[in-house]
Amino acid sequence: MTPPMNEVSMNGRPLQTPAATLAELLQLQGYDAQAAMACAINRQFVPRAQWPLQALQAGDRIDVIAPVTGG
Amino acid sequence: MTPWTLAGTSLASRLLLGTAHYPSPQVLADAVQASGTQVLTVGLRRLQPEHGGGNAFWQRVRALGCHVLPNTAGCHGAQEAITLAQMARELFDTPWIKLEVIGDDYTLQPDPFGTLEAARVLVREGFQVLAYTTDDLVLAQRLHEAGCAAVMPWAAPIGTGRGPQNPSALQTLRSRLPDAVLIVDAGLGRPSHAAQVMEMGFDAVLLNTAVAQAGDPVRMARAFAQAVDAGRLAFEATPMGERQTAQASTPTLGMPFWHQS
Repeated sequence: MTPPMNEVSMNGRPLQTPAATLAELLQLQGYDAQAAMACAINRQFVPRAQWPLQALQAGDRIDVIAPVTGG
Repeated sequence: MTPWTLAGTSLASRLLLGTAHYPSPQVLADAVQASGTQVLTVGLRRLQPEHGGGNAFWQRVRALGCHVLPNTAGCHGAQEAITLAQMARELFDTPWIKLEVIGDDYTLQPDPFGTLEAARVLVREGFQVLAYTTDDLVLAQRLHEAGCAAVMPWAAPIGTGRGPQNPSALQTLRSRLPDAVLIVDAGLGRPSHAAQVMEMGFDAVLLNTAVAQAGDPVRMARAFAQAVDAGRLAFEATPMGERQTAQASTPTLGMPFWHQS
């Protein structure tokens, strides 16, 4: 059976995804799970340990961030 | 140089350095070494998977052996800044956060209300908050009372290099908050600016553009380090009081050519 598709926004870009959890979404989008990055959904921090458990809902706005230069 | 304590950590250098706008990663590394800094600020931005993660930059920063101070630059509200701080804590494994909540995009002037609101929450959550603020005395007092590890007034708007625009206000902050860790953050352009605020008794300065965008960032990093040290030494030595009238340095007693007629 085809998994249901959710429309979410990832780093500001809309996308349709069959991912059920944040961890699945990151994997499907090609992120390296070991990379230096952190995540938030709907402007709420999601700790790394929660990524496999964090269920996605239609309309979720996901942010994935990484270190950059800064002052 | 007398060591000082920032967020429970003893430091020898009183110069904190940003990592942005350098001509190359190597120049950044050389400037860091020349400056003697022990604290580097870093930012956080969205990551696209095709960019392979922020590992390369992060590894370079880690190799420099400094304490990392992540910022919440660009946040426009308390909640944004709180969330970004939580993400930074996990990513960098540090409770240190340079809290920036911007209130005006043209001047990059901090939002006093959002800054204080975020500071109170973050302190409660166990962060060591270094709060970027204006030179407003009452706001600085509130941030200090909220438990911020450091209060960081601007000298001038970020990236302008104009130096202290209101030295009197900075002096007042130092006088009224003798027990607070006060770091001048933003707007310094020349080593003499750094020396000026260090002579007032500020605990440290935080720079980025003044070093990174200098013609020779490595030499400028060294120049700032010496200016910060000179300013601190001068503060500890207690500068003389100013006088309104001239007073000769050479004794007048024994002056030749004078005769009682």
